[in-house]
Amino acid sequence: MQNNAVNAGNDRPSAPVLAARELSKRYEDGVLALDRLNLQVQSGEIYAMLGGNGAGKTTAINLFLNFIDPSEGEALIGGIVTHRDPIAAKKQVAFVSENVMLYPNFTALQNLDYFSRLGGRTGYTREDYRKVLLRVGLQEEAHAKKLRTYSKGMRQKCGIAIAILKDAPAILLDEPTSGLDPKAGLEFIALLQELRDEGRAILMSTHDIFRAKQVADKVGIMNRGRLVAEKHRSELEGEDLEKLYVAYMAGYMEAAV
Amino acid sequence: MLKLIIEKELRETIGSSRFAISFGICALLIILAFYVGARNYQVTRAQYEAALAENLRQMEGITDWMMVDQHIFLPPLPIAALVTGIANDIGRTVEVHGRGELTAEGSRFNEDPLFAVFRFLDLDFIFQIVLSLFAILFAYNAINGEKEQGTLRLTFANAVPRATYILGKMAGTFLALAVPLLIPLLIGCLLLILLGIPLNGGDWGRLALIIGAGLLYFGVFLTLSIWVSALTRRSASSFLLLLILWLFAVLIIPRSAVLLAGRAVDVLPIDEIATQKSRLMAQLWEEDRKVMANFRPSQTEDTEAMLNEFNQFMQDQAEKREQKLRALSERLEEQRRNGERLRERWALWLARLSPTASFSLAAMNLAGTSLMLKQQYLDAANAYQERYAAFIGEKTGGMLRSGGFVVRRIGGADNQPPPIDPREIPAFDYQPPPLPEAAATSLADIGLLACFNLLCFAGAFVGFLRYDVR
Repeated sequence: MQNNAVNAGNDRPSAPVLAARELSKRYEDGVLALDRLNLQVQSGEIYAMLGGNGAGKTTAINLFLNFIDPSEGEALIGGIVTHRDPIAAKKQVAFVSENVMLYPNFTALQNLDYFSRLGGRTGYTREDYRKVLLRVGLQEEAHAKKLRTYSKGMRQKCGIAIAILKDAPAILLDEPTSGLDPKAGLEFIALLQELRDEGRAILMSTHDIFRAKQVADKVGIMNRGRLVAEKHRSELEGEDLEKLYVAYMAGYMEAAV
Repeated sequence: MLKLIIEKELRETIGSSRFAISFGICALLIILAFYVGARNYQVTRAQYEAALAENLRQMEGITDWMMVDQHIFLPPLPIAALVTGIANDIGRTVEVHGRGELTAEGSRFNEDPLFAVFRFLDLDFIFQIVLSLFAILFAYNAINGEKEQGTLRLTFANAVPRATYILGKMAGTFLALAVPLLIPLLIGCLLLILLGIPLNGGDWGRLALIIGAGLLYFGVFLTLSIWVSALTRRSASSFLLLLILWLFAVLIIPRSAVLLAGRAVDVLPIDEIATQKSRLMAQLWEEDRKVMANFRPSQTEDTEAMLNEFNQFMQDQAEKREQKLRALSERLEEQRRNGERLRERWALWLARLSPTASFSLAAMNLAGTSLMLKQQYLDAANAYQERYAAFIGEKTGGMLRSGGFVVRRIGGADNQPPPIDPREIPAFDYQPPPLPEAAATSLADIGLLACFNLLCFAGAFVGFLRYDVR
């Protein structure tokens, strides 16, 4: 499996793999879901967007995937403005949703085969699929079972396997640890770290402060569509992220980001 | 990419238990429709042959061609057993005298009214009801189901053009459902051969066109379902909406069209025609009675010549009566037919707002069991009557049974004339319009079905391009 990541390890290039520039979204009913978001995710970096419901995290992900068009600003993947050339931009990104629901009548292997071919990867063998499923922690006996028999954690692993197989330099994750039991959550975090170490730029939305602190290189706190704070891992050391988060969410503190 | 999406649709559809169950039921019903059709044909054929034999038997021993009661029968057509249309509603027996108005009597439903209650399980029914529901059952959640399932988001997180996806989706769903349906249809055709149903090349052509029209009709409901699923967020909503549309298309529009046309166009009632005709008949008989009372033979010496003169006189009177009655009848019938034609045209064009009516009309035209069957049969019977009149005229020296009476002198036992040979009577044969003519008649409806397909396809395509895949 080739590695399409821009640059591995800590040797970070200057150009971000994922970037939002003054990215805003106002819906037809007038609700401002995202307000001038600016962020950058470098290769080999995990960026966690932290926030409650309605903070604008999923809207940001939807804009990166061009599921909706921005009202202002732009989202870029690998330097490509997503709403101008969504097809080219999507070749550079893999996506794992909050609740991975693949085709329930297909086996894990069939789902992997379909989605990796859909993602433009046609050269994989059954052995490649088997290896990647083992890597994400799905035991051999589960590979040929239909997805309808899978638990949420198993489906999530399957989703991350699909993202790995796409071999894209950027990965977007929408609440990936939501609903996972602690063991599955830990395994998932370990996997993310592996992918980061391979040089992927990872942008994840989450409201799990504990996991965010555990895995993220950069944490952005979002509230009512705005990025109200952005902290690097070094800045978080010794900080109580939970208190900081609550303070920002309550509006006691506001940082210009 | 397109091929991949088509393959996925095929695999996903065919691999589901929903497909196995519903396809099994559809396949069984299709095969059953062919079997029931074939058996019905055999039964009707046997009845037809028995009726022909009985007709001949009743002529046994008759020595005078004037005494012959000739009946003709509508022969059963193999394809009509598969698409019955109005074949069971119209009369099959016509009594032919050589002159006068012909009426067809003794319909299948008249003899077996039970069948009229639930009608027959034929191909028309299978396509109209079963396969349209089959299409809805599989495509009602084609788009919104993927959204509910979460796979649409994952799919469009990849570099997948929407147009390619929806084309693949439609082609894949059609192939996954329509191609397997060809299997029971082919088994049904094989069954026809095995049961010895005599189908000629034209019949096979008709059957192929009926199946083709059926698949077009199936395509309408499939693309309509995909369209509706691309307009709604929830699969439960699309299912409900499609059931309502199905009710309108299959049941409400065709029936309402007939009711509306009936209200819009006045047609001279049959009872009114019958009253006017019987009034004229009574008047003519009254006049004839006076004329008959004044009949005086020119020769009174020769009994044979006197009888011949009387018979000629009666024939002339009958001819005159017949002419007057025919004139009135033709005028009234023309008036009624014009009204009927106008009403029919209105009803059919209104009904064609529904693809079900278009399919049904196309199938019936191809099978030769459309509304035209009654007129075509009567036209053939009238043409036959002319041949029959010529034949009987030749045998009787110009005498025909006419609703009046003729006096014949029958010789004593010594010079009893020999019995007639009923096999000399010209045979009646009914042939449905040939395939090119039937195909041309059904072309408008097949074209309409293609238009419905295009409309729903375009609707689904455009609807999906604007669909919120989140």
